[in-house]
Amino acid sequence: MPARDFRAAEHLPNLRPDRQPASPEELPRQRNGVTPQMHGRYPDYNVLDEAEHWDEATRRLVFERVENTPPIRFFTDTEARTLGIFCDLVMAQDREPKVAVLNMVDAKLFDGQLDGFRYADMPDDRETWRRLAVGLDAAARQHGAGDFASAPTEVQMRVVDALAKGELRGEVWDQMPPAKTWKVVSRAILSAFYSHPWAWNEIGFGGPAYPRGYARLGVGQRESWEGAAAFERDAAKDTEQRGVQGT
Amino acid sequence: MSRRHELRTLLRGAVRPPDNDSAFLLDVHRRAVPQDRMARYDDAYSVDLVIVGAGAGGGTLAQRLARRGWKVAVLESGPFWDPDEDWVSDEAGSHRLYWTDERITGGSDPVELGKNNSGHGVGGSMVHYAGYCPRFHPSDFEVRSRDGVGEDWPIRYWDLKPHYERLELELPVSGDHWPWGDPHRYPHTPHPIAGGADGARGGAKKLGIEMRVGPVGITNGAFGNRPHCIYRGFCLQGCKVNAKASPLVTHIPDAIEHGAEIRPHCMVTEVVVDDSSGRVTGVRYIHNGAERFQRADAVAVAGYSIETPRLFLNSTSRRFPHGLANNNDQVGRCVMVQGAPQVAGRFPDEMRMYKAPPPEICSEQFYETDERRGFARGFSIQTVGPLPIEHAQHVLGHGHWGAALREYMRDYNHWYTLGILSELLPLPENRVTVAHGVSDQNGIPVARMDYSQCENDRKNIAYGKQTLHDIFQAAGAQDVLVTDRYAHLVGGCRMGSDPERSVVDSDHRAWEVPNLFIADGSVMPTQGSANPALTIMALAARLAERLALKHAGESSVQRRHLPRGRSRPALTGADAG
Repeated sequence: MPARDFRAAEHLPNLRPDRQPASPEELPRQRNGVTPQMHGRYPDYNVLDEAEHWDEATRRLVFERVENTPPIRFFTDTEARTLGIFCDLVMAQDREPKVAVLNMVDAKLFDGQLDGFRYADMPDDRETWRRLAVGLDAAARQHGAGDFASAPTEVQMRVVDALAKGELRGEVWDQMPPAKTWKVVSRAILSAFYSHPWAWNEIGFGGPAYPRGYARLGVGQRESWEGAAAFERDAAKDTEQRGVQGT
Repeated sequence: MSRRHELRTLLRGAVRPPDNDSAFLLDVHRRAVPQDRMARYDDAYSVDLVIVGAGAGGGTLAQRLARRGWKVAVLESGPFWDPDEDWVSDEAGSHRLYWTDERITGGSDPVELGKNNSGHGVGGSMVHYAGYCPRFHPSDFEVRSRDGVGEDWPIRYWDLKPHYERLELELPVSGDHWPWGDPHRYPHTPHPIAGGADGARGGAKKLGIEMRVGPVGITNGAFGNRPHCIYRGFCLQGCKVNAKASPLVTHIPDAIEHGAEIRPHCMVTEVVVDDSSGRVTGVRYIHNGAERFQRADAVAVAGYSIETPRLFLNSTSRRFPHGLANNNDQVGRCVMVQGAPQVAGRFPDEMRMYKAPPPEICSEQFYETDERRGFARGFSIQTVGPLPIEHAQHVLGHGHWGAALREYMRDYNHWYTLGILSELLPLPENRVTVAHGVSDQNGIPVARMDYSQCENDRKNIAYGKQTLHDIFQAAGAQDVLVTDRYAHLVGGCRMGSDPERSVVDSDHRAWEVPNLFIADGSVMPTQGSANPALTIMALAARLAERLALKHAGESSVQRRHLPRGRSRPALTGADAG
């Protein structure tokens, strides 16, 4: 059952019997700008509308991120196919528009932009990603699939869940601890996804605020330009954008 | 209320530091530090002191000694930041602020490095610290005698107190009057706090836990040519406003004004020792791909808890085959981090925790040992205000991914986050070594850090997490998410009174080398549950005083001494001084 109100917390996974959220399809559709999959908790808020109030260095960086998706240069085609599916599962990106998470990860690895540490029992982050691709295929085969990419979604989900819980065993995983692999790769995935203004729109984040700053800090207070949460769908716009007529 | 008290209250925020003009030397319209009048020393010229690293320790030491007429060159591996151009209001775009060269992290409880605790560039990790500037408690300097754990320092709180007071005026630090440790007040009034912090403070109060505003090194109101804080929340990404204190704005400008040279993009690879005399003669460093050698009468290393031991261990010679000043196998030992789990609570109203600086309120009520808790020493409680990427890692750390993670993140604006800093104990096997067969781009072996907790550490962290949980329950949180992490780095080259158990003496001088000093957080024998920045600065300020005393006694060397007594405090005003 969808939540009735965002003051109540019954939509949160910890408070639901199956610890899984309701379908985000119950939310309004994004009406202004883009969110990943157009889920619109703040449907009329587009952080990019505020760009004229940002400093030049930040504006350049953020627009580069939105406008120029880097090509895949580090991963092979086969790796990119497997890992692209993996990244989409971790971020629950089941359809367009999608934040191009794997492309952003690829660019970081291609540029050798690492995070400044490596676990003693882990390979270099670049090698970790390559072995992850092999390890996902190996884990999918244990479930009777040909490889990860062609496995049914339920199998893919079980493999990712086992990785997150550090429970994968066998080929690759006996040499590369799955719990630490999950830490390394999830760090890169979250950093890519939540650096994207589309994700900021989805969560109602105010985004860069220099030199303007904030003046309204109290509980429940918003600046005039910050987005309001919306619970109700807009009967006309939401149905039209979803290709549904006359509901 | 006495007249003296009234006067001090009236003058809060109006007293200018007597012997540091940094805030007035900055440009009004640009954030970058003016460098046009900076001294440039030739490599062949033997400077009085070369300092390795321009962070909290190195920056403060340079300013203090330059003021006393020393010829100081500071070699910094990273860039000389221009906040206008180099820094962005963006989490992922702030990667350059961190030490991102390879390092190996091991042990049974390995520590995440890089962004979490390691800086790069002029200003060091204070460029991306949150801004908390608490003092250590008097008990921190004698935990072995008092509590039977850790190690006693060779100095006492009272040795640092005058330096704490002076630095609080220089940063400047704002906050409520402080009831914990050695009770004291702050020179600037407390900042306004956001709704979430107010709610958390209310929850804590119901449990009998007092939380106070500050202490933060962020100007409340304009300070010299540093504008007031605009509450944009990106303190951890470098303060583009110049409101948050880091040596880049608090000490480097004054150091330059008094003749210090700050030399960026210089990676020091070896401290060179003369095998016959046993004294250091300078440092070898790499600049623009070329190897160079800076001569110096003395060397102070301020590379922090990982790079300082690494530099020592990589500086081998006939006299020191196992690394500089390491004939007793003490270099790199007892490196420490603080346990810093975070608990986020969910509330019916929107909190929007990305607004206001992450450091808002804090409590040191659990700082000291209380035997009823079942472990030695304690922890402090602080607000943290994570931005989206950081909060997503928090949600994932609790075990949610995919659709559940997205749902929690869509709920971001309803959450507020508290963290603890647990005092974890110094253990000799927690140490920095050199990784065999792994080198950086210059061919220098990288550091390896091994870290494992002891039983006392685990109990401390568990108790602190439960306390945060209770505070959020009392504040009316509807759901909580818990994640484990570490914060800060100290120790690794500790000071002591026994050469067999420490690297430097109480004057930061290496036991085995008379003109080699360490001026960073690695000298700390214990860490308390206070953020280390202010104490690192206070130690460096004290070291400068000790060095100057020593130097003044050396009659054979002619020095340019500025006739500068303690001038009377002047009021801040519109003139740029």
